[in-house]
Amino acid sequence: MSLIIDNLTVRLYTDFKKKEFFNVADSVSFSVQNGEIIAVVGESGSGKSFLGLSLMRLNPPYISEISSGSILISDSGGFEKVDIVKLKENQLSGVRGRLISMIFQDPNVSLNPVIKIGEQIVEAILAHKKMKKKDACDIAIHYLELMRIDGKARFNSYPHELSGGMRQRVMIAMAMVLEPAVLVADEPTTALDVKTSLQVLALIEKMRFEKNVSVLFITHDLSIARNISDKTLVFYAGQIMEYGLTEDIINNPAHPYSISLTKSVPGLSKDYAPRERLFVIPGSLSQGDFKSGKCRFYNRCFKKTKECLNEIPLLKLSSGRFARCVNII
Amino acid sequence: MMDNGKDSEVLSINKLSKHYSGYGSLFNFKKNIIKAVDNVSFKVYKGDIFSIVGETGCGKSTLSKLILGLTNRSSGEIFYKGNILNYNLKKLDLRKKIQIVFQDPYSSLNPKKKIYKIVSLPAIKNKTIKKKDALQYSMQMLKKVGLDENYVFKFPHELSGGQRQRISIARSLSVNPELLVLDEPVSALDVSVSAQILNLLLDLHEKNNLTYIFITHDLRLVRHMADKVCVMYGGKIMEISPVDKFFDGPLHPYSRVLLESILAYGPKNILQFADAGNININNINAGIEKNSRGCVYYNLCSRREVQCINNEPELKENGDVQVNCFFPYYSSV
Ligand SMILES: Nc1ncnc2c1ncn2[C@@H]1O[C@H](COP(=O)(O)OP(=O)(O)OP(=O)(O)O)[C@@H](O)[C@H]1O
Ligand SMILES: Nc1ncnc2c1ncn2[C@@H]1O[C@H](COP(=O)(O)OP(=O)(O)O)[C@@H](O)[C@H]1O
Ligand code: SF4
Ligand code: SF4
Ligand SMILES: [Mg+2]
Ligand SMILES: [Mg+2]
Repeated sequence: MSLIIDNLTVRLYTDFKKKEFFNVADSVSFSVQNGEIIAVVGESGSGKSFLGLSLMRLNPPYISEISSGSILISDSGGFEKVDIVKLKENQLSGVRGRLISMIFQDPNVSLNPVIKIGEQIVEAILAHKKMKKKDACDIAIHYLELMRIDGKARFNSYPHELSGGMRQRVMIAMAMVLEPAVLVADEPTTALDVKTSLQVLALIEKMRFEKNVSVLFITHDLSIARNISDKTLVFYAGQIMEYGLTEDIINNPAHPYSISLTKSVPGLSKDYAPRERLFVIPGSLSQGDFKSGKCRFYNRCFKKTKECLNEIPLLKLSSGRFARCVNII
Repeated sequence: MMDNGKDSEVLSINKLSKHYSGYGSLFNFKKNIIKAVDNVSFKVYKGDIFSIVGETGCGKSTLSKLILGLTNRSSGEIFYKGNILNYNLKKLDLRKKIQIVFQDPYSSLNPKKKIYKIVSLPAIKNKTIKKKDALQYSMQMLKKVGLDENYVFKFPHELSGGQRQRISIARSLSVNPELLVLDEPVSALDVSVSAQILNLLLDLHEKNNLTYIFITHDLRLVRHMADKVCVMYGGKIMEISPVDKFFDGPLHPYSRVLLESILAYGPKNILQFADAGNININNINAGIEKNSRGCVYYNLCSRREVQCINNEPELKENGDVQVNCFFPYYSSV
């Protein structure tokens, strides 16, 4: 196991002085084996990015804090083990990028607009590895080329001179360049076209097979989850709603939320009619949904009953398959 | 769909180009010229959902910026309903008639303004509403795009990516535009919100006889939304085709590759391309992808002949399809 998350709870303060908060991640437990890819799917605002950021301890300070649980990370050889939650602030920089690294949803967060992209990658390498600058340049160019960017020609480009998709790929190159044990990829292909997107997926697969990287792949696109991941974790309002093998979850979703998600994608099957209106989950996810003592999906569920007005535990459906719902037959 | 006025031309683009000169390379400090949009011509008719597809960097966003007057063209012409596109002419009132929804929901919203100010700004500027009605109007617009009304008092950074994109759609819709340029409007959204936005866009299109330019890299969305599809590669148009014809079998070799790529979205089907320069991690060299003399697609094309190295094909009519290739496929697979 290279990543074991146990009972992780992250508070997000809505009013810090009055100590008002909700759990943006609520008792989250799962583990990722060496070389395994786990997809986290769910709507925007459900807390996926927060979960990812918390694993790096990059959740925004002052407004949020990890209130309980542990995040155990080990390198693929199992020589080094750390609990990210317990690390001191000054120990984190030695771990980030090297043991665990992240592709951010927002490329503007991790790219400095006034530094040439090649320089930025070289800096990232030199921060962790002792080597000649020339060699770091070669590695940077190599990783840019893996991302289908002409590394030599674009080395001296500034972020704003690239298209949105190119910026995203530069960032991916930067996250991959240190070959971390755990990679958190937050919507890494969302801004990319099919061809490049498949390219990125293929690169992640390659890293997984060759370097045994474990990946937490955050996405809202079920067809991408199906394509890349071994297991899928359906996330809603800070909680795991369903968990199991990806094939099972996509082909045979059990939780009403998973069912609703799969019905809202425009298909390409034979009987599919263009412009037919897609299934839309009524209402929207609000921050109030994170707090309630009832099922988090209650307000929008097509199957709700009065039994749902309690905290719902994660129930085991079969070996390796869990769902948080009382109305699954 | 409405028949009346269906044939009237809304947008006509003639030999439009945008060339950037920029960075030098690491080893060669001479200025490069990037032909982001290169000699592009097409027409969009009233009520159309005209989709533009192509891979990253092919010039889609540059084209939309040209249409919005957000960047200067290098050459060529753009006409809006017969008039030369000019945003400075008060009489044409184009800022109200043409609106855009951007690809990137992060940088397109002013971080210092509350949501209701952002959403109502174009409507106030264009005198669609009065300033005192801004709050009420914004709540209405948020409801339209499926957002909780209470978000009007928040700042953009307090919202997640999908929520921000809905705000920018609400903002564009706030002036009742005629032509909406949608630059990957749902590519940053999750499935359920995306379904909502797609339904919403289709409803608005039907009710208000809007015209859309729908930029996407996802052919699944083209099939779902569009009447016509325009395929771009390396700044040029490869093919313009009615959508149903396209999905029966497109004529351009690159279009075929794109169509095959959606089939690759099945389980564990990565890397099934018909590109000659097959998508193989180990032999990628993006620098040689674009041919600089003859056909831009030459280096990756599976149907290329000697003729294509130095001669450039032109966009030619082939029935109701236009295709830019010396050796296109014949219709139907
Ligand atoms: N301001 C600029 N300066 C220099 N080059 C630019 C600039 N803006 C865009 N380019 C270049 O023009 C080309 C087309 O970019 P554009 O943003 O139109 O691509 P796109 O098709 O929208 O891609 P994506 O799918 O990634 O959004 C790219 O090679 C890009 O690097
Ligand atoms: N910087 C922030 N400050 C305050 N609240 C935030 C911030 N970022 C996100 N949120 C809130 O936290 C919740 C979870 O957001 P996020 O983790 O970004 O969701 P996802 O990645 O699943 O879209 C949402 O209710 C969102 O509005
Ligand atoms: S517990 Fe009840 S409300 Fe929650 S998902 Fe199941 S049926 Fe729906
Ligand atoms: S002109 Fe030649 S190289 Fe270009 S797409 Fe057609 S067959 Fe291929
Ligand atoms: Mg997110
Ligand atoms: Mg773009």
